[in-house]
Amino acid sequence: MKKHLAIIALFLIITATYSQDYKFGKVSIAELEEIKNVNDASANAAVLYKKQSISFQYSQGNGFQQINEVHERIKIYNKDGFDWATKKIRLFNRSSSSSEELNSLRGYTYNLDNGKIIKDKLKGEGKFEEEANRFWKNSSFTMPNIKEGSVIEYTYKIVSPNLYVDDVDFQYTIPINRFEFKMQTPEYYVYNKLLNPKAAYNPQINTSEGRGSLTIRSKSRSGGNLRSNTKTNFSENKIDFKKNIISSDSDNIPALKNEPYVDNLDNYRAKLILELTSVQFPNRPFKNYATDWDKVTQRIYQNTDFGAQLDKKDYYEDDVNTLISGVTDNEKKMNLIFDFVKSKVKWNKYYGYTSDAGVKKAYKESVGNSADINLMLTSMLRHAGLKANPVLVSTKNNGIPLLPTRSGFNYVVCLVEGTQSVFLDATEEYSRPNVLPSRALNWQGRIIRENGSSEWVNLLPNKSSKEITSLNVKIDEDLSISGKVRSQFTDYQALRYRNKFNNVGHEEHIKYLEKDNGELEISNLQVKNRDELSSPVVTSYDYELFDAVEEIGDKLYFSPLLFLANEENPFKQETRNYPIDFQFPIADKYMANIMIPEGYVVESLPKSEGFSFNDTVGKFSYLIKENGKYLQLVINFDINSSFILAEDYPYFKDFYKFLTEKQAEKIVLKKAQP
Amino acid sequence: MISRIFPALFLLFFSAYSFSQDVELLNANSIPLELLTNANAVVRYNDISLDISAYNRMTYTNQRAVTILNSSGNSKHRASVSYDDNVNIRKLEARVYNASGEEIKKIKKNDFEDVSAVDGFSLYLDNRIKYLNYTPIDYPYTVVFETEITYSSTAGIHNWRPIEGYYTSTENSSYTIVNSSEIELKIKADNFDDYGIEEIDKNSFKATNLKSIKPEAYSPPFKTYAPFLKATLSEFDMEGVRGMNNNWKDFGKWVNDKLIKDTQELPLQVKEEITDLTANAKTDIEKAKIVYEYMQNKTRYVSVQVGIGGWKPMQARDVDRLGYGDCKGLSNYTKAMLNHIGVNSYYTLIYGGREITNFDKEFSRVEGNHAILAVPNGDDYVWLECTSQTSPFGYNAGFTDDRDALIITPEGGKIVHTKEYKTEDNLQFTKANVLIDEEGNISGNIDIKSSGYQYSFHQGIENKTQKDQKLHYKEYWDNINNLSIEHIELVNDKDKILYTEKIKVSAKDYGSKSGDRLLIQPNMFNKITSIPTRYSERKQDFEIDRGFTDKDEFVIEIAPELSVEAMPKPVLIETKFGSYVMRIEKNTDNQLIYKRTYILNKGYYDKSEYADFRKFKRNVVKHDKAKIVLITKT
Repeated sequence: MKKHLAIIALFLIITATYSQDYKFGKVSIAELEEIKNVNDASANAAVLYKKQSISFQYSQGNGFQQINEVHERIKIYNKDGFDWATKKIRLFNRSSSSSEELNSLRGYTYNLDNGKIIKDKLKGEGKFEEEANRFWKNSSFTMPNIKEGSVIEYTYKIVSPNLYVDDVDFQYTIPINRFEFKMQTPEYYVYNKLLNPKAAYNPQINTSEGRGSLTIRSKSRSGGNLRSNTKTNFSENKIDFKKNIISSDSDNIPALKNEPYVDNLDNYRAKLILELTSVQFPNRPFKNYATDWDKVTQRIYQNTDFGAQLDKKDYYEDDVNTLISGVTDNEKKMNLIFDFVKSKVKWNKYYGYTSDAGVKKAYKESVGNSADINLMLTSMLRHAGLKANPVLVSTKNNGIPLLPTRSGFNYVVCLVEGTQSVFLDATEEYSRPNVLPSRALNWQGRIIRENGSSEWVNLLPNKSSKEITSLNVKIDEDLSISGKVRSQFTDYQALRYRNKFNNVGHEEHIKYLEKDNGELEISNLQVKNRDELSSPVVTSYDYELFDAVEEIGDKLYFSPLLFLANEENPFKQETRNYPIDFQFPIADKYMANIMIPEGYVVESLPKSEGFSFNDTVGKFSYLIKENGKYLQLVINFDINSSFILAEDYPYFKDFYKFLTEKQAEKIVLKKAQP
Repeated sequence: MISRIFPALFLLFFSAYSFSQDVELLNANSIPLELLTNANAVVRYNDISLDISAYNRMTYTNQRAVTILNSSGNSKHRASVSYDDNVNIRKLEARVYNASGEEIKKIKKNDFEDVSAVDGFSLYLDNRIKYLNYTPIDYPYTVVFETEITYSSTAGIHNWRPIEGYYTSTENSSYTIVNSSEIELKIKADNFDDYGIEEIDKNSFKATNLKSIKPEAYSPPFKTYAPFLKATLSEFDMEGVRGMNNNWKDFGKWVNDKLIKDTQELPLQVKEEITDLTANAKTDIEKAKIVYEYMQNKTRYVSVQVGIGGWKPMQARDVDRLGYGDCKGLSNYTKAMLNHIGVNSYYTLIYGGREITNFDKEFSRVEGNHAILAVPNGDDYVWLECTSQTSPFGYNAGFTDDRDALIITPEGGKIVHTKEYKTEDNLQFTKANVLIDEEGNISGNIDIKSSGYQYSFHQGIENKTQKDQKLHYKEYWDNINNLSIEHIELVNDKDKILYTEKIKVSAKDYGSKSGDRLLIQPNMFNKITSIPTRYSERKQDFEIDRGFTDKDEFVIEIAPELSVEAMPKPVLIETKFGSYVMRIEKNTDNQLIYKRTYILNKGYYDKSEYADFRKFKRNVVKHDKAKIVLITKT
């Protein structure tokens, strides 16, 4: 008998440990007692359970409304996890017909007190709503009584009149133990779905079908003339429809962890992207929103805020005709028009591929969004006889366009095709033909030609941007060093330089160059072609460096690149999960000419050698030779790719190790024997 | 250290005499040459006038024109107003003019952007901002801004900053207060003489042609040397509550009676708990420590700014029930618990921040951006930062240390100076045992003990993930390439306020090779590389606001295959700014002992001494990279 009891008791314990109750309010002692996340001991908090259901409910007068219900149970392990007890939800609030509402918010905090569960309710004082700006309002709440070990649980509902479905995040920066997702859409709305292919974690998605019905009440009137009273007839109509169901049950979703030099962490988050592709109601015309990239592009083209903006020309015709009168060379025309638009219309920092103000107004008021400016530019170039077309782009902060959807893009630039194709973006002061602002350098864009056809074009620059520096080194008797530095920056490196320094005063510029470079004094700084964008930026200055040579015994030690050497390896992580974003290929060259001081001879020189990474993706060469009274050093450093892949990281790190160490190597001089 | 301030809700307007009729001032070409130097924007005129008709009625009028010279100056037009329910914006308008002074755009009240006043750390604020969102077409351009606002709150009367900030010069600026109420108006002007600012009439001032100021390294806070005017009433209104302010005592009494007194009630259960917990504690300080730690474990920081101007703390019982509060609520909650067990403590208003900002002893008014708690300890006080869940009891270095603050006692307010952390107590002691092999690879054990102000730089590493801890040390010792962190042991002793780190490391190719020689920098684990910025002509005095002491002792074992060819001579530098002592001793043929003591003193110095200060730091940098030459034995 005793034996029997023991077995039952054991059985009970097992169930207690392993079965979890995800019903709202059923927080267990085991969950409260948990000290660390089973799968990720470093987690400060974890989502124990998340349930999200998206559905569409029909109501008379409003039609279908999107209902997004969320239930989350979160465990807070330590103080660094306290931020998870506060949640901010952004709601679209542009106009009364498109405003989203948050309702049915309920929440509790659970704590353990001497083995007993204590529960605190989220009340009105912990809930806040504010209109953040013209477009958005924020609904936020913060849970009461949070301690290390607390479990919080809340549910809420977002009701939206919009058909647009937000991306469903399958991954947070903390682990998710279990996530149940379900989306039910009436057959009238067709959504395209895609999981982010760049994410390291991929959930399993299932599709199925269900049934739904809705009731439409209608009234009709009859009579109402002199002879009879008005009669109102009511009728009810029940309509059955099919529901498409997308669901996913996932366990143990790892946390999304950030790393330095990542282009945009969100690009690597596991998420489900949903896009309305068509609407078909019975007895109504079929409305297609998107199916493939061609169609998406076509639809964008047909949008009056896009295509039609390209056709308007009356507002600029006279000005542009005057501008290019007598010019026959296409490239000259292009440059004239490009510079004209840049100086005429300024970017208001709003993105978009559709015109906001309209090109005409933007032109008149000299302010516009990216579409106003670049569509205007495209139109003018066409007017001048160039083969110019708009290119739809997703900017870096918008992620990579994954699904054939209109919201996949958020920006537009211009491409002029010819023997050599040229990208143009007139929103940025220092951009040039084929030098786009870095926000636009996101993988590939979609060109739309005049006939409405479209195709992908590569946005990543393939031409290397250069920095060429020459350095003269003269060691004086007091072991201070003096000389001259001359540098040239081309393309993206020039863009970067102009953005960084064009607004900086002369003195600040010098301070910047001197900073953290030891006892360095810079004078006669000159910057050429600051605003002459078609030419490389050329800088030159004189320097004096007082602490670079070390005299130990009768020998002198110094590294030949002096303060220009990069002696610290910036890549310190052991491994990486995401690629390193270099933005553009680089070709740097340093040439040093060092005068051996009177009375000294060379004792030893660093070895001339080179290294490469992944064949020719990264190259570094170091060549030093003695030439009479001089030592001549040439260093070449090339990165021939905009991205370094995560799997190549260890090799890349090693490559950087070599080159930083090499730059730290010393030249040793000794006193000449008399 | 995690400490948070609360937003200064008023005081933010940049505050009108009238230059505004002069159209020449809308032409960018008429700016005097000396005002263009080092300027991103030029305030052509800024006329502020305040009309106080009663303790609870004030009209503010501002007309200003700012010429923006380049894109860095875009934010300087300051065409914005902050408002809440107690504010009535009667006029709000801006006009933009091109370089030659022709009007190119007019922005009416409803075309201003209206957003919630996001301060970056509050979950909710009941303040909003209307601001001008303008995309410049060309530079320079001029923005004319006109506003008229009436307030029923007079607790925060607009300040006047004739120089509005760095890189901004001022052509004309004026400030006038007309006080037709019976309440006494007090005004204080700081640093006016240095800038030739005139009082043209009673409570009416005028400034002309003030050159732009550039920031310089180590300069004292801007407001300590720039001209600044503040005004206050002896009786004021704060969102419907009448306040008294004849002096700090008076003002403090008001804070105590109207903002603090009725917020002290605690639930019975907490009272009992606190009584039990502190039953065996002997001294008040011991009791305060127990209560502070109890508060830390029970609460977290959440900033919600509602209630009287964001100045009244949440009820102590609400903080207890919800388990959160802002600096005011958490300090007051702690105070309520201390009250209960008979330990005296004072709610304290202060300026929190790394930069040291004092309350003005001479001039009382609504001030501060933070609240802490003072527990009397003999003639001194123990300062409690209640927004941190991790800070040791009584630790306030780096955020509320060494400054004048206002303590609120039941008898009234009093200005008290907070704890100063002394140079000799701000100690970081690094010991290491290192082995250098034939190839110049190193491996070793390091032991770092930090206390005083320096504790705050190390505290908290223990909460990072192991991966981030490793990265932390790689950054901390960024002078060592290829550093590999093999073991980390951390002890945060909050009772002693001592942080101990024991780290095992190795690094390949630390020594740089030159033929058969190996160059080794013996200062591996505490190397200073940065020299203060050089100025051909230093304009401001300079200040080292906190002193510290670094001691280092490294035992260096050298592989038997190597011998020492040369090593740096001992160094002893003694200056008023600090001292540097370094020596390397040869213990045995293959064992060296490197000792270094670097002290930087707290101090305020004349600008003429800046060159000497740089020289001192330069020498430190130089000797920190001194090298030992090792040579392969033959």
